[in-house]
Amino acid sequence: MLETLGKKLILHLQLGPVRISFDLVTVLVALAVTGFLALGAWWLRRGLPRDPEAPLSRRAAFLITVLELAETQLLGGFPKRLARDLLPLILTLFLFVLFCNWVTVLPIPYIVSPTQNLNVTFSLALLVYTMSHYYGARERGLAAHLRSYLEPYPFLLPMNLIGDFGRTLSHAFRLFGNILGGAILITIMPVKFAPLVILANVWFGLFVGAIQALVFALLASAYIRIAVE
Amino acid sequence: MNISGEQLVEAAKYLAAGLCMGLGAIGPAIGEGIAAGHALDGMARQPEMEAVLLRTMIIGQAITESTGIYSLVVALMLLFVV
Repeated sequence: MLETLGKKLILHLQLGPVRISFDLVTVLVALAVTGFLALGAWWLRRGLPRDPEAPLSRRAAFLITVLELAETQLLGGFPKRLARDLLPLILTLFLFVLFCNWVTVLPIPYIVSPTQNLNVTFSLALLVYTMSHYYGARERGLAAHLRSYLEPYPFLLPMNLIGDFGRTLSHAFRLFGNILGGAILITIMPVKFAPLVILANVWFGLFVGAIQALVFALLASAYIRIAVE
Repeated sequence: MNISGEQLVEAAKYLAAGLCMGLGAIGPAIGEGIAAGHALDGMARQPEMEAVLLRTMIIGQAITESTGIYSLVVALMLLFVV
């Protein structure tokens, strides 16, 4: 069992001097999750009535409830205008990470969660890092945003930069470590205590997956809020 | 009984990974427990603040957890990379 943990199906592409490697299963599962989310979004969007006066359909009511819940829970401290602006980004991050964590529960052989690949979580964390700088520069102005690195004292600039770097690094490692740790435990468990497999899948797959997706989205919104304020 | 150098390294790897994870779990566990306890205190005193407290508690616990995650990463590196 343990021997299969580190094994991956890697596709190498040689583009001139650059060699690009893809982890095939991760890429395919991530694409499948993206497609599923896009289809779901399209299906929900189609349920909205064109006429604003028409009575709400069930799909529209569901959509409104979910969006309002997400706005208050994930983007609670933001001003209304900014919360509306950030909602697509944060909710997409949340849903993508959530379904990536949940795919391990599906009874498909060789399936792995894309979020147990450090490259995936690190690119998501870098995305949040970039967006926090973008929103910081947009809301406060570029000069004020850059000046915030010199506060409270200019000689603390290295500390601020290291803090920024470590924040992004731990953002990526937190998701990666939690999901990979759970996946390793799920892999080891059938060998020793077979009856606990379902329980382990529910706990490490569904519960921890949901909590970690929530934490990832909440931290993303918290980092952007720090940059904005 | 002859123990070769490679076997010694193997044994040290498992021992180090176990120690790393075990000792590294103590700090985050205590810290997260304290955070959850104080959040519960706050919720019991002001039940109407529950949503905000829960959200802040989860963020705080996630940050507290980083050191535990670092030790997990180090333990995994010891087991599978070294």
